[in-house]
Amino acid sequence: KRGLKVLVVERNPHIGGAAVSREIYPGWTYSNCSYVCSLLRPEVVRDLDLPRHGLQVIPYESGATFTSDGGYFAYYSDHDALRRELNRFSRRDADNYERYAQAITRQCRFIKPLLMRRAPDPVRNRPRDIAELLFLGKRFHDLGEREMGETIRFWTMSIGEFLDEYFETEVIKAHFAGSGIIGTGLGVYSPGTAYVLLHHYMGEVDGTIGAWGFTRGGMGGVTQAMARALREAGGDILSAAPVAEIVTAGGRAKGVVLENGDLLEAPTVISNMDVKRTMLQHVDEKALPDDFVKAVKRFKIRGSSAKLNIALDGLPTFPAAPADAPFLKGDLHASESLAELERAYDDWKAGRWSAEPYFDMLIPTQIDPTMAPPGKHMMTVFVQYAPYELASGETWDGPARDALAETVIAKIARHSPDFRDLILHKEVRSPWDLEREVGLTEGNIFQGELTFDQMFFNRPVPGYADYRTPIRGLYLCGSSSHPGGGVMAAPGANAAREVLRDLGIKAADRIAGEQAA
Amino acid sequence: MTTYDAIVIGAGHNGLAAAAVLADAGRKVLVVEKNPVLGGAAGGYEIAAGFRAPRYAHLLPAWPARLENQLDLAAQGLAFARRDLPTLSLAEDGGHVVIEGASAHLLSGAPHPDAAAFEALHARLRRFAGALAGKLLETPPHLESPDWRDVAGLAKLGIDIRRLGAADAREFLRILLSNAWDVILDEIDDGPLAGALALEAVMGGHRGPRSPGTVLSLLYRLAQGGGRHLPRGGMAAFCDALAACAEARGCTIRRDAAVAGLSIADDRVTGLRLARGETLAAPLILSSLDAPATLRLTGVEHFDAEAVRRIRNVSCKGVTAKVNLALSGLPEFRGIDRAALAGRIVLAPTVAALESAFDAAKYGALPQQPALEIVIPSLADPDLTDGDGEVMSIIVQYAPYHLEGGWSEAARARLGETVLARLEAFAPDLRSRIVAQDVLTPADIERDTGAAGGHWHHGELAVEQMLTLRPVNGLARYALPVGGLYLCGAAAHPGGDVIGAAGHNAARQALREGRAA
Repeated sequence: KRGLKVLVVERNPHIGGAAVSREIYPGWTYSNCSYVCSLLRPEVVRDLDLPRHGLQVIPYESGATFTSDGGYFAYYSDHDALRRELNRFSRRDADNYERYAQAITRQCRFIKPLLMRRAPDPVRNRPRDIAELLFLGKRFHDLGEREMGETIRFWTMSIGEFLDEYFETEVIKAHFAGSGIIGTGLGVYSPGTAYVLLHHYMGEVDGTIGAWGFTRGGMGGVTQAMARALREAGGDILSAAPVAEIVTAGGRAKGVVLENGDLLEAPTVISNMDVKRTMLQHVDEKALPDDFVKAVKRFKIRGSSAKLNIALDGLPTFPAAPADAPFLKGDLHASESLAELERAYDDWKAGRWSAEPYFDMLIPTQIDPTMAPPGKHMMTVFVQYAPYELASGETWDGPARDALAETVIAKIARHSPDFRDLILHKEVRSPWDLEREVGLTEGNIFQGELTFDQMFFNRPVPGYADYRTPIRGLYLCGSSSHPGGGVMAAPGANAAREVLRDLGIKAADRIAGEQAA
Repeated sequence: MTTYDAIVIGAGHNGLAAAAVLADAGRKVLVVEKNPVLGGAAGGYEIAAGFRAPRYAHLLPAWPARLENQLDLAAQGLAFARRDLPTLSLAEDGGHVVIEGASAHLLSGAPHPDAAAFEALHARLRRFAGALAGKLLETPPHLESPDWRDVAGLAKLGIDIRRLGAADAREFLRILLSNAWDVILDEIDDGPLAGALALEAVMGGHRGPRSPGTVLSLLYRLAQGGGRHLPRGGMAAFCDALAACAEARGCTIRRDAAVAGLSIADDRVTGLRLARGETLAAPLILSSLDAPATLRLTGVEHFDAEAVRRIRNVSCKGVTAKVNLALSGLPEFRGIDRAALAGRIVLAPTVAALESAFDAAKYGALPQQPALEIVIPSLADPDLTDGDGEVMSIIVQYAPYHLEGGWSEAARARLGETVLARLEAFAPDLRSRIVAQDVLTPADIERDTGAAGGHWHHGELAVEQMLTLRPVNGLARYALPVGGLYLCGAAAHPGGDVIGAAGHNAARQALREGRAA
């Protein structure tokens, strides 16, 4: 949109990366990687005019966790409904929820303006860094003594201990805790997971903070709309064009060589691959400083998630739920205590998939019928935890993959007796599949752990948090960069702004986070 | 009724240090101690006739120089049987490692393959700890409206970090909130050397090495100087010297004087009531008890609801137990000579084993393979036993306070058995040498010292409970909301370990505010 001649090269025959809609089973559309939308920055949506290009996000407004005694805890975005539901378990929890929601909302407000800004380098004395540090310092100071303390606590606590402070009912804590561990190699009692929860709450759908929704037609709708915006602005996409190497000479990027041998020349190369894949597999190591290579090798990208996409012959029933319960249209879970979640993590640490996995299960076809034939349904089940390397030495290409699926299906079937018989087709996505197909190292959905040592000015590596690399003209624009993963597009927008800055082109006001703040 | 200028509750090392500092400033000070012996968790006792053992803490870290100079414990008879104990890290395969400061070698005399990497890591961590060390003797700053002292302290911290140089400062900011697991294993292979360092990071805390924040607790230990000494005459002699130091400055110490409650008028303390009925008057009271116990003595009605809620939520899940043995002679440790046993011995053969031991503890189980820190102080200080015998002091890491089924006599026996079985693998004749044994569970620690949860540090040393957040957000500057009432124990900044810093800081803050008022 700023007049550069841009080409996007994509390894797969389809575009979208981990935001795709694919017909793996005839008649059904799977969002076979990411599956729900919330984090996509409104600044990007507006700047690229994505609704005009077909993006439509439909919020789902409830969810539930089923318990082994045949009950459930339901979450509703409607305040009164939620309060009634919390009261069913504990009056104290219902009262404390108000404080909990306020605390989360305050943290969301604090962090949101930071997402579309370049993280400062706290060690260098460049005016821009100092100005940014002063901006951050002032923002932090403006919180006041009490909230400054609360903010430090929130950013360093475990989600388990944070929830323990507010709630006494296990299933309520377990329901909220899920967002603190999705995609990470951390457990609910690992310090730092309260931030991970925030990372899942700081999005919005049509201005409703923390809301999540389905993209009409699947998550490919996001990337398809972006592709239309790109093409309308004169950009090109070359798919089925895997990059063999990023060409450099004299410390400058010169272009890329495709696996078919074609050389595509450009003075600016922006890599959406994670930092390890970009720097260790596509750049000649000799062109990079040793310290940088060491830091990139040390960057933690730990596979911890798997996924099932399931074609269903009809809508499964959940006997615990009242007829037509609205929460069945939202996110469903069956982990009923923090201890169960922590044990699921311990299994992962030991190199096994969780015997009692946490899952985030949705049937989007109830809201978006375009994704399956009439009367049929599609189910997406995100599974935490599945290690990249199995301690047993098995590969994910053998029986392990089906055994993992069976673990998950059996757990779902405990709450939905007719579920198993409705399965027409299932796609099992192990960490290996996510790595092979999407190129996410270890299948980590965030392109790198979201721990403090890899966040903000430390992401991806200290000294290179400004989307630049030691190779001039080579930039990183993926989730390995600040502010990290999720279908957010913030790293991409921020990287583009830095590229334009280096080229001396003024970025449009709307995309410039500096002014959004 | 006798009137004092100040009364200190509890004659542990922090209480005594606080009393000495107050007396130094000319205050008339009374210390009341509920037990017949002094020292709290730093004290000693006779485990059997003629065998003098440290009750809980068994080594003395270096004291901050300023405090050491002020109290001059040497003048009161404190001497050391041995300073800067080397660490012997036991390996199940016999490849024991000796660590002296930053240097490591195999007990056999052969070089350790990771010696260079360990030395570099250790030196780096020491440099980082040095940048933080200044904070140990400072009152945590007001963040919103800092006074000149706060500003000076924060500025100095900033300068100290910048003075590390760009590369180190970056690394410091990267690992500060990181976990011991990654920071150690990124540099050296897992084994007894890595295990010993990881044990330093988690000792006394309800954390496994994978938990983010454990690097900070490691830096906390290293900020004390890193060395650990054996006082001549044992920890009891150290406590006696500390008491003598207070008494030489005019303090009165009363043993067997449990406090029943505080006297408060117009939101100010006026004195306290002893359990045996006596009333003592003082306008200033420093409590070296933990925050919940101090709250109980004061009465919740004197705190606002938020402070009460926060104090009740202080994370203090103790996981440390103690086994003290009186031995008829030194057991035969296979392949380890007497000289090598005279230092600090640790059994933490791998970082992974530490994590597994923690896994058991977090669900309230006693780990099969707890980590141990062992000292046989009588080797360096033969006067600790009357005859040829030895005393062995063992700290057991990961014996949970919340043990499933509670700390019954059977559970206590099981803990003792687990520890002995673990040691027998190295010293097969250990059992035949035992004259007496004393197994002290976290429940005993709570009963003896009053520390909630039996937590050695009066609350987890986690980021969210450190500095301006210790013991809780809003009460971090020693003064409690009741006029004249201060916290002076490990519950307050900087926290646990036998360094007297919290006591010193609280006394100084009380004097400062007394002047201001």
